[in-house]
Amino acid sequence: MLEINDLHVSVHGKDILKGLSLTVPPGEVHAIMGPNGAGKSTTSYTLAGRDGYDVTQGSIRFKGEDMVPLPPEERAAKGIFLAFQYPLEIPGVSTLTFLKSAVNAQARLRGEKELDAVQFLKLIRETAKGLNISEEMLKRSLNVGFSGGEKKRNEVLQMALLKPSLAILDETDSGLDIDAMKLVAEGVNALRAPDRSFLVITHYQRLLDYIVPDHIHILAGGRIVKSGDKSLALQLEEQGYDAVIGKVA
Amino acid sequence: MGDAISTGSLLETATGRNTGAADWAEALRDRSRAEFAALGLPNRRLEAWRYSDLARALSETVRETGSLPTCHDMPGAYSAIFENGILDETQSSFREAGALPLRQILADPASPFVGHIGGVNPQDDHPLLSLNTALMEEGIVLRVPAGTTLEQPLHLRFDWQADTIGGRHLRVLILLEEGAKATLVETHGGSPSFATIVTEVRLAKNSELTHVRLERLGSSGRQSAMTLGEIGASARYRAFYLSEGGHFSRHEALLKLAGEEAQADIEGASLATGTRHCDNTTIITHAVPHTTSQQSFRGVLSGRARGAYQGCIRVAPDAQGTDARQMSRALLLSHRAEAATKPELEIFADDVKCAHGATIGELDADALFFLRARGIPEAEALSILIEAFFSESLAMIENDHLRGLATDAVQDWLSSHASEVSSVE
Repeated sequence: MLEINDLHVSVHGKDILKGLSLTVPPGEVHAIMGPNGAGKSTTSYTLAGRDGYDVTQGSIRFKGEDMVPLPPEERAAKGIFLAFQYPLEIPGVSTLTFLKSAVNAQARLRGEKELDAVQFLKLIRETAKGLNISEEMLKRSLNVGFSGGEKKRNEVLQMALLKPSLAILDETDSGLDIDAMKLVAEGVNALRAPDRSFLVITHYQRLLDYIVPDHIHILAGGRIVKSGDKSLALQLEEQGYDAVIGKVA
Repeated sequence: MGDAISTGSLLETATGRNTGAADWAEALRDRSRAEFAALGLPNRRLEAWRYSDLARALSETVRETGSLPTCHDMPGAYSAIFENGILDETQSSFREAGALPLRQILADPASPFVGHIGGVNPQDDHPLLSLNTALMEEGIVLRVPAGTTLEQPLHLRFDWQADTIGGRHLRVLILLEEGAKATLVETHGGSPSFATIVTEVRLAKNSELTHVRLERLGSSGRQSAMTLGEIGASARYRAFYLSEGGHFSRHEALLKLAGEEAQADIEGASLATGTRHCDNTTIITHAVPHTTSQQSFRGVLSGRARGAYQGCIRVAPDAQGTDARQMSRALLLSHRAEAATKPELEIFADDVKCAHGATIGELDADALFFLRARGIPEAEALSILIEAFFSESLAMIENDHLRGLATDAVQDWLSSHASEVSSVE
């Protein structure tokens, strides 16, 4: 599904990723854990195609295709979804309008038929209900006045509507209490499927109690320094990043 | 194409044109002609014209680029259609609203409108107002009798289709008697070589006027418009102004809150691209106690467009209890676009609430990325964000039909200029 090879990325002329390699097969959940400044957010923004994140070396292949030259919207249409650490508030754009624009823009880019208003409303009502998102919330401006939990549930709603093949969760647990995190994790788990992969990026182990990964990678100094199964998260939790990374070095 | 125009050529074109006017009108014109001849065309050495050098804009020969925009239609409204500054009565229905052509008023020696024309919130040393009064021939005069509501909006449609020689100077007078209500819609389309349009509105006690201006000039269009208003006790003036700029485009709202509990609300939107110029100037005078004004201007500028907002609030010495708010926000989509903003508060009373704020910034890059990461292409994402920027202004228009018209105007602009705004430099 996703193959990252020897990826070097610089932001404002500063090298952040320095030889990151990672393969995520279809249907698997991989977690990237790392201390502050390891390059976690840079990894997610680079995969999503944000301007200013310059790939200076290496490759990103998604379903066999080179992603580096593609703008964010085309990557999204091909099935890459980034759940934001801090979902943006956009006053003046209703959540519903935004969702419809996104669903139909992706359909257009893929050469598929757009949904009409009736089809779209039916789809969104069904999907939102499962995530405890009210119609009133959908009518409000995008994320404006939403609580931290509501914003993240709204991200999961977008994921459910857009049906990506690869979902990248960038520190989805930040700003959430346990109950909100559980609700978001349930939403994510419901979307697990044999043809859908997840890349869960997190600083803390606790999210991984609820979204259980197949593999865990430790990112430090701009590359993966250690990989293992889910027991690696517990080891990190007990011993801390310094001890675990120190052993590697 | 617009040719070079000077103070002298403007006065010359008028010679021999002013026939059939009554003595009072001739006297008014002569006085104004002398004022304009003394003041001359404004240039940026005058503080009020610092961001808008009309003398220079008129000295240039300009060529139209792109297609000529047309006016919005308003089916069902009372209409006055002006083709290149000439009233076309055969296409118009304004008489059904009780309105009359200005020509008819100017020719009437005993017109009840003597003293109103040129008498609403008069200005000292305003060269363009003098020019307009000196040379006005075409226009519309409407009086709405006490206690009545004009059922449909009066739509003044100014179409500038072909090349016009020299200047055209139009005058509109709207009188709302006590308790009257009306909606005035002005649409401006195409490229006048040089037009001045003065709209005088006098609102008597408890009357209410909704004023919508939609200005869609071509890139070579040169127009300077003024709305002069006197708002009486408990009367209300509500306005939405939209402008797409032009080679030279300026609108001045010169309003006097003249009776207690008078109220003025203005929402302004400007959208300019290319090398267009767009100036919104307001002078709101709170002349008596307990009056309220609220103005909010938003602008989006791309390419090498230049936008200016000058907002002056004057509070007279005994105008206690004044509540005046002013806000301007400009969004620059290009590093070569320019926005100037100049709030001025002249407050001579002590028990007043005056608030003003001004921001000039760029589009939020995080929001743009967020939309694109959801699959929305850049041009569409920009349109969504720009429309969102104006949404608050548009939401202030209470009448559904008018709000729809204004929203369509913003959307039209976004779709026709999508390629220009998408190239953020």
